Formats: sequence, C-alpha cells, structure tokens
Amino acid sequence: MKHTEYVYLTPMPVRIWHWLNAFGIVTLCVTGINIRFPDVLNIFGTYKAAIELHNTAGIVVSISYILWLFYYMFVAGTLAKLYIPTFNDIKSGIFRQAFFYFFKYFKGQPNPHHGTPDNKFNPMQKAAYLVIMLVLLPLVIFSGIILMYVAPLREIILIIGGIKTLVSAHYLIACCFCAFLFVHIYLATLGHTPLAYFKPMWDGWEEVEHADPHADPHSH
Amino acid sequence: MKKILAWKLAVLVTALTMLAVTVSSAEDTGNDKCLSCHSNKDIIKKSGERLYLDPAMFAVTSHAAIGCSTCHDSVTANHPNDGFKPSKASCKECHSSVQSEYAASIHGGKAACNDCHNPHEVKSLVAVSGSDINEKCAKCHNLGKIVKSHDKWLPQADLHIDALPCVTCHTSSKNYVITMSIQKRQAGKTSYGDFKTANHEELAALNPINGDVSRLIDKNGDRLISLKELRDFNFEVRKKDMRLWGMMMPEVATHSFQILENRWDCSFCHASGPKAMQKSFMAFPDTSGGYTRVEVENGAILDILYGTPDFYMMGSTRSTALNIIGAMIIAGGMMMPIVHGSFRFLTRRNRKEH
Repeated sequence: MKHTEYVYLTPMPVRIWHWLNAFGIVTLCVTGINIRFPDVLNIFGTYKAAIELHNTAGIVVSISYILWLFYYMFVAGTLAKLYIPTFNDIKSGIFRQAFFYFFKYFKGQPNPHHGTPDNKFNPMQKAAYLVIMLVLLPLVIFSGIILMYVAPLREIILIIGGIKTLVSAHYLIACCFCAFLFVHIYLATLGHTPLAYFKPMWDGWEEVEHADPHADPHSH
Repeated sequence: MKKILAWKLAVLVTALTMLAVTVSSAEDTGNDKCLSCHSNKDIIKKSGERLYLDPAMFAVTSHAAIGCSTCHDSVTANHPNDGFKPSKASCKECHSSVQSEYAASIHGGKAACNDCHNPHEVKSLVAVSGSDINEKCAKCHNLGKIVKSHDKWLPQADLHIDALPCVTCHTSSKNYVITMSIQKRQAGKTSYGDFKTANHEELAALNPINGDVSRLIDKNGDRLISLKELRDFNFEVRKKDMRLWGMMMPEVATHSFQILENRWDCSFCHASGPKAMQKSFMAFPDTSGGYTRVEVENGAILDILYGTPDFYMMGSTRSTALNIIGAMIIAGGMMMPIVHGSFRFLTRRNRKEH
C-alpha cells in the first residue's frame, strides 16, 4: 500500500520569483521574435511597443534575478548546495538520471531522485540550472542592458568586439532560453501525475508517494 | 535620301555643340586670376576670412565650372583698386525651384541659403558625409536639446542622432541608402564618442596603394568592395583605433524639411527587411573635403560579424545564418517533448503496470 506525504519544497519567495521570471521570459521570447522579424511579424501593433515591452520585461527579469541571487546566497544560503553538482553528481548522478529519463522511465521504473528542500534538484537539473542561472541568464541580462544603452556604453561594446558580436550573443542565448522553455515545461509533466511537479511551484507542497512498510501486503 | 541627310546634319550639329562645350570648358573661366588673390591666405589678414576660398574645395564645385564672373559679374578690370564692391548673384537666379521650396519650409524665414551652403564649397549629396550635414544643422540646433526633444518619443535618441543625418527624416526623400565611412579615434582621446570621420590626410598616412585612399579597402582597385576586402579591412583597423560607421543617407535631398508621416513609425527603417539592406556604399574622403562613393558587394551590412562590426540596425540587418542557428537551437529544445513524448505515449502501459 502507498501513502502520500507532503513536503514543503518551494518557499513563497522562490515561487513568486519563478512565475515572475516565467512570465517575463515568455514575454521576452515573443517580443524578441517580433523585434528580430518585424517585416514578417507584428504582434504588438507598433515596433516601438514591442521594444518597450521587451525592455520592461528585461528589467523585470533582471531585478527578479538579482533578488533570486540575493535570496539564495544570503537569506536561504543554499545556492551552492542546491545548484552546484557534487563530485558524485558529476561522476555518476548525471548519467544515472539521464539513464532514468531515456530508458528506465519508459520501462515504468521509479525516479532515482526524490526532492527534499535541501536537495530538490536531481543531478541533471543541477547541471542544467547551474549553466542557465549562473552563466546564460547573467550573460543575456548583461548583453541586454548594454543593448538598451548603446551610445553611452559604446566603449564596452567595442571591447566585446562590436555591436554585431553582442547582438549575436544576445540572440543565441535567447534561443537557448526559448529551447529551455520547451524542455522545462515538458519535463515538469514527468511526475507521478502530469501536474504533480506544477503543484509545488504553485502552493509550495509536493506530494510524495511512499510504499508503506507497515501495511499488510495482502490487504489490497 | 532626305531622311539620311537630316540625320547626318543632326549628328554634325551635336558633334559641333559638344566640341564647343569642350573648348569653352577648357578655356580660362577667369577663375585663376581671381584665385591668385582669393586663395592666398594673406587676404584673410588684409580683408577678412569671408574673402578667402579654399582652391581645392572650390575646384570641384559646379560653381567653379561656370566661373567666378558668372555670379560676380560687376567685377571691373581694376578690381580691387576701383573702390567698388562687386555684386554677387542670388541663389534663386539659378536655383529658383529649390528656393521656392525652401521659402515655403519651416526654415525659410530663419536661415539664408549660404548659412548652410558655402557657394565656394558646395557639394552634391553623394559627396558629403552624414556628419557634415549634421554639423550644418548644429550651427543653429543645439545637439543636447535635439537629443532631449527626440528622447520624448524615440528610444535611444542619442544613438539614432549619431547614425542618421537629420535630413534622412526631415526631408521628403522617400527612401534611404546606407553609406559607410571610416572613423578614427581622435588623438589622445579614449572615449568612444571621440570617433570622427577620418579625413583624406589621415587615411593617406596609412600608405594606401598608389596613394588612393579607396585602395585601403578596395585592394584590387576594381571600384567594387567585396565582402572579403571589407572583412580584411575590419581586422586591420581594430588595431589602429579606427572603425567603420554606417549612416542612413536620404536617397534625394529636398529643401521642404517636412517630416513624412512614416518617419514616426519605427518600422519605416527597422522593418524594411534584409532585402533593403543588401546595397551599401563606402564613402572615401578626397582632398577637396568631399567624398567619393564606392559600391560595396551586396550583403555587407548583413554579414554576421566582420562586414560592419559596429553597424547594426535591429530588425533589418539580421543575419540569415544566425537565424538558422537560432532556429536549430529552438528546434533542439522542441525535440525533447516530441521524441520523448512519443516514446512516453508508446510505453504508457509500462508505467501503469508499476
């Protein structure tokens, strides 16, 4: 027999940040496509509206990122523990998790990782989020801010190698975020029910099903 | 027979007319006599700067071709000892249509023709740089105030004003062309804002082939700058505190100074699409203070990194190669739900059993 346990996995500040970020990144992707292809796509009425919305969403995501970093570094103090893969994660955890996703999952075998508030990400998630949160997001924010103030920050652009290098980097990282959205949303449906992983990001509590060791095996 | 005779006569008359024009242009227009004093800098000390004219700048103007006395027709043989101040023609005597267009414009009552155009240095639109045009505007319009007033509606107004001659928008020219120029960081300055369009002397100091500054980029001298030549140049100039800078010049310059409705709409430039960005020119300074345009191979502005490293126009100068790479990244992300999702669907029974 199975019994369900509730774990408070996602504290409120993290949830607020997550949905603000999610909304911001979707807005940035849509406005970004409009800005890059204005001759084929005009969703927001005018080009200026698309740019202003893109800039606003960019500022919102940047501020929310700073708050996120501050929260994990100084309030929760769990940034390193949650986001930096351990030696074991790199040595075997990532491969074990990948083996689960691409093989064991299809055979109906259980997920080797169970999230706890102190260790809520599996090794693959850790590695992916480390790159996304601590490399790609800061880079896309940095390039975006420079692109918002091209004339006054021209000297920095010159050091980077010109505005085309900067725009290309911004665009390619943005494409990575767009690709991540598809992967992220899909993987979030791989819980014991399709919405099982969405719930803790909404109300904080994750349902964890355990086989009850004291239950009578013949009772069902 | 009569027809053939008429044709022969017509050819003869045309040939004679051309000969007459050639002879007359070769004739001394009297300029040399005037220039012997007026191109000598001593005249500045004696009678003031307004009587001096730069012979190199004057020589390439259309006004030099018609001769000094055409406009200053009251000069006597005893000039300047006759005590008589020579007359000068008014611009409208020749440029009546421009004058009437200008008179009706917002600038009409505010500035005379020669407040912007020095008749002894005047050049055609293709022979001036965007920054030269803006310098004329800045004689009356304070740059800081211009940026501030445009900032009310135009995002990154400072950047736009740096990349556009005012007349690209404040004119009735229906289209624009992209003209690039070589800019050099001013000696001793480190701020990016101190890049200025390089003059002929600065470029000549780089020892171009045959002393022709256009050969700094157009190495083979075929008067067409290839993408390879452009990339090679961009690699070289990075070490020399120089850069290529692009400006959007109006295709024609009018004197109406009206703002067409579409100039308020960002998409006029930004949604013109990569097709409109294929053609561009490089403007090289000449000894007269003007510029000579050389065509650049199609697609230079769109080249990912090295075509014009520092000129990018959102929406219009996007690179197709980069679009494809970006699309592949996004498609890679979509593969996860599609491929994994398909296997998930096919193996759904396994999970139910467990």
